Amino acid sequence: MAAGLQVVFGVQKIFNLACGSFYALGAYVGVSAVGWYVGAGGPPALFIVPLALAGLAVGAVGIVVERGLLRFVYDRDETFQLLMTFAIVLMMEDAIRLTWGTAPRSTAGLYLAYGQVQLLGATAPVYNLIVIAASLAIALAIGWLLARTAFGRIIRATADNREMAEALGVDMRRVYAEVFTLGTALGTLGGALVIPTTAAMSEMGIELIVEAFAVVVIGGLGSMRGAFGGALVVGVLRAIAISVYPELEMLLIYLIVIAVLAARPRGLFGGAAA
Amino acid sequence: MLSVAGVDVFIQSSQILRGVSLEVGAREVVCLVGRNGSGKTTTLRTVMGYLSPRAGAVEFRGRPIHGRRTHEIARLGLGWAPEDCGIFSDLTVAENIEIATWTRPRGRAAAERVAQAYEVFPALRRYAARRGPEMSGGERKMLSIARALALDPEMLLLDEPFEGLSPAIIPAVSAGIAAITGLGRAILIAESNIHHVPDYTTRLYVIERGEIIFGGRPDDAWRDPGVSRIIGGRSR
Repeated sequence: MAAGLQVVFGVQKIFNLACGSFYALGAYVGVSAVGWYVGAGGPPALFIVPLALAGLAVGAVGIVVERGLLRFVYDRDETFQLLMTFAIVLMMEDAIRLTWGTAPRSTAGLYLAYGQVQLLGATAPVYNLIVIAASLAIALAIGWLLARTAFGRIIRATADNREMAEALGVDMRRVYAEVFTLGTALGTLGGALVIPTTAAMSEMGIELIVEAFAVVVIGGLGSMRGAFGGALVVGVLRAIAISVYPELEMLLIYLIVIAVLAARPRGLFGGAAA
Repeated sequence: MLSVAGVDVFIQSSQILRGVSLEVGAREVVCLVGRNGSGKTTTLRTVMGYLSPRAGAVEFRGRPIHGRRTHEIARLGLGWAPEDCGIFSDLTVAENIEIATWTRPRGRAAAERVAQAYEVFPALRRYAARRGPEMSGGERKMLSIARALALDPEMLLLDEPFEGLSPAIIPAVSAGIAAITGLGRAILIAESNIHHVPDYTTRLYVIERGEIIFGGRPDDAWRDPGVSRIIGGRSR
């Protein structure tokens, strides 16, 4: 999720609030896909397959949003971009309510199909470990894509200097569409993978945006290492806060964000060009 | 090769170019000379498709290219080295050079195109693993031109290739540009300092306030009273 945000922001310099909606969309589609899969008699142990496929497939929404709406605000003020993506958030939220209703949706106890393990004295569902491993794998894959492939280098060059990249034959519109779709797919996949451990709610998009922006601000805009570090900081702090003094959970994150902004406005891992 | 005919260009509501016309033939080295703000960069940026002319036409290899998008123009075979070099600071020297071989595949092998870029500016080879911010001004200019050459273009547009360089490094850049013409590529150079116009220039245009006021052989430019008034007399 934060990974998708980072890639999109880094290349297109667009604050994409809509990523939270993509996350929620991925979650709902994931729930539906798993419901259909179980209803069709698929073995519960393999439910992660339709889940991930549904998450990735619905990432194609990114193409529609990018071509249909976002490309009109690329050269506009950041305020327009924020308004546009916020409008997308509201529209998607209503679209989700229309389609799936207002009641939370969940895959019930399906995530326990993989059993539980004892870890450091606590009981953890294996599925949670799978999600963590998958997130790591995705982060590594994105890092590899950006650093080692021709496509990744073209993305970085476009992020650095759009005009120059065009003069070297880079079709900027295509790169934007591809990057936005990739970012969307990361968001929807993230939503789909996480959903078995929680429940899909129409407000989850907005909730997540706040958290993702905290992650991104702490880590530094436009940096993948930052997204990872920021996510770790936020995750660990939330866990500590919940176990020590639950009321402080969200407050603590905002305090950290404020502290980071005051001390290192570019974020802990932000580069000079962030 | 390149023909600009009667081009008017506006930026917002002010007219920057007035009926600009110029020609660059195959294997030619053409210099567009003018003071700062006279319209040199605007002319080159119009050819590259960053700006569209309100009137007039730009033709490259017999095809009209005004109104086409920049990456299409680049893929037709126009290499661009801007005044600020446009180095991708996040990429190494080698990655900067290789980009054009991915976006414009040609009959020639990518490795051969990259090797040719290094041959023109051998100094770059030593810095292949470095990144943009670790380079001097001269190295950045060389990289910018070498990267444009790796596109395997029929023609290169160089905006102020000698600007801001120390006198010690100018001969190396000039020799590199000469080597590119030796490879049969046409070159259009924008230059504000008449003393930087290379000896191997085949044709010279002088631009002043968005209008071409002279076009011809470099030797004739010196004898033109209007030209010497604007760009200064001969001092060599």
